[in-house]
Amino acid sequence: MNKDNKITDRKVIETEVTMGTVHSAAIEPYRVRLFVEDEMVRDAEITIGINHRGVERIMEGLPVEKANSLTEKICGICSNSHIWNSCLVAEKAIGIDVPERAQYIRVIMEELERLHSHMLYLAHGNEVLGHETFAMRLFYIRETVMELLRMIGGNRVQYGASIIGGVRPRCELDEMRIQKIREGMDLTEEKITEFAERFVSDPMIMSRITGVGTLTQKMAIRLDASGPTLRSTGVEKDLRTVMEAYDPFEFDVITQDDGDVKSNLLVRVFEIFEAIKIIRQALNNLPDGKITNRSWEMQDAPITKSYIEVPRGTLYHSYALEDGRVRNSIVRTPSVANIGAMQYAAVGHHITDAQLAIVQCDPCFTCTDRAIQIIKI
Amino acid sequence: MTAVNSLIAVIGTLIVALLVSVWLPGIERKFVQARIQQRVGPPISSAGIMAPIKFFFKETIKPNSPMPRLYNALPIISILSIVFILLFIMPQLYIFAALTSIIAIIGLLKIEEVIYMFMGSLSKSVMSLKMPFPDIVKGAKHPDTPRSFLEELSSLRAFRLIAFGSFPLYIALFVPVAMSKSIYLSGIVAYQQIHGPVLFTLAGMLGAVVFFIGYMILLNEYPFAILKTKADVIEGPLMEYAAKYRAYVYLTRGLLMFVLASLFTTLFLGIPPNLFSWNILVTIGVALIFPILMAVMSAFSPIFTYKQFYPTVAGVSFIGILAIIFSFL
Repeated sequence: MNKDNKITDRKVIETEVTMGTVHSAAIEPYRVRLFVEDEMVRDAEITIGINHRGVERIMEGLPVEKANSLTEKICGICSNSHIWNSCLVAEKAIGIDVPERAQYIRVIMEELERLHSHMLYLAHGNEVLGHETFAMRLFYIRETVMELLRMIGGNRVQYGASIIGGVRPRCELDEMRIQKIREGMDLTEEKITEFAERFVSDPMIMSRITGVGTLTQKMAIRLDASGPTLRSTGVEKDLRTVMEAYDPFEFDVITQDDGDVKSNLLVRVFEIFEAIKIIRQALNNLPDGKITNRSWEMQDAPITKSYIEVPRGTLYHSYALEDGRVRNSIVRTPSVANIGAMQYAAVGHHITDAQLAIVQCDPCFTCTDRAIQIIKI
Repeated sequence: MTAVNSLIAVIGTLIVALLVSVWLPGIERKFVQARIQQRVGPPISSAGIMAPIKFFFKETIKPNSPMPRLYNALPIISILSIVFILLFIMPQLYIFAALTSIIAIIGLLKIEEVIYMFMGSLSKSVMSLKMPFPDIVKGAKHPDTPRSFLEELSSLRAFRLIAFGSFPLYIALFVPVAMSKSIYLSGIVAYQQIHGPVLFTLAGMLGAVVFFIGYMILLNEYPFAILKTKADVIEGPLMEYAAKYRAYVYLTRGLLMFVLASLFTTLFLGIPPNLFSWNILVTIGVALIFPILMAVMSAFSPIFTYKQFYPTVAGVSFIGILAIIFSFL
């Protein structure tokens, strides 16, 4: 037994049970090898890279605008985060000023994305728990946000809102759209409040999620977990507090102390309310003016890095510019570190809880599976 | 009642049982749960009728099993054991005293349970196959650990269900036995015809609650579906069934729902299933009410792990024992 009371170094490991690459509890392809002793997980190994697409390699040499659009295809859930961060790299590299109104619209899009991502997470978590009714309820609540995203961006999944220097003209927020977003936020807040009250007062659910998949604060920091996964262990770290785009907004950084499935779920539930708060502030104080700065010249730039806080944690994009084309592109998604941490969190629990422990970090395998493996045969 | 009449009654009751049972999975999973979950859901006939018909016309593929013929034969044995339970609780067959006792019924229910163990140990689906490159070549942990299939986990869980999971059902079956002081169904029914239904006593009410929980456990329904939970073993022992064998599995489930409801009406209301009596409507009514209650309960609960399962079974079994004690008072 090690210092965190996780039994990882036992000599007797009875059998290996493999889940994946296709499994009903996993909505994306990954492989988990669980080493079990009487249905208790003694060690775990998660294999990613099953569905790698080499997006960074495809981006190499593409015109920067095209490369930015391509980053949006990395993930269907946090597509806006990718394109925003990719645009930020170019804006930082070339020194482009983004109009204030565009910054506000970007923040609104990002927070709407956080809302739908967190609700999808909660729904999936409930599905893995075997609580289909709550899962369906959450999908139903999420629909309001999805429709708002469609109204603004034209699509339910890939909105293409951010472009270098601002946001696309079609994503401009007129009075009618602002009113609809306000109504949508009121409805979402009401429904999520109802859900949260029922969720936390359900003793059977609490029994299933309390103390399961615990990740200690020390291990979370050591394994470089980020986002709500890190905050669920009590670490008050949210990049939004240092991001320029979020300067005008007041919000609380949500933390929980236990690092278990319950803490992870609750962090996201409370972050939904914070996201609604940010969206309302943005709508109330939306500045007038243009939404795109087109007065910039393409120029070469060395490798430039950008970090932003996305629904799952810290997203990193970097690339260099050469003749208007992207070079040495790297994308690092929060799931890479978080999934690694879950390999540890799954240990010491019943095998039925293993998938729940892994899912608690909101893993996104389409985001993660981009690494290129060079295999010499 | 002549022998011919008895034969007609038995065959007719069997046909009615089959006709009613095919609707029950649809009522339970699609009709009730879908409405609770505020979704339209597929047609009510989908789960119990259309799916088995579809599967009967599909190509039969060989299952991944060390003994595929035995594996494919198990659902047929299962459905036969359930049919025999239904036959033995029919009043026309009470002349075969030894077979129509509660001991015979429990024996047949145990066969149904044990079959899941065999199914699990005989199924070796593609879900647990080795992938040498990511599992071994890349330098994985514990490369020499013996591999267990997901269905083997189900098999172990089936064993645990036999060992303790089905306690509530079997304890509940002994409440009417304790009250009527007879292990024969004819004796239990006769007792209730004189003293009124067992259900309307304190012991009977407690026993009915315990029976219902046992009914859910035996049917592997959420939250007790440890044999086939989506979070780990997926379909569990039934994973490799395809075509007509999967159709048998579906029919078995519907028929088991009806048979357990018939057993309940026989033991707790004194109404055995009999085509020549209007009381068969009570049996059909109970057969419809149980899946509705089960659907409501499963729609509002997450799946249990042993941490929740053991205390629930222990608690419900304790209530069952209390019911038996009350039945002696």
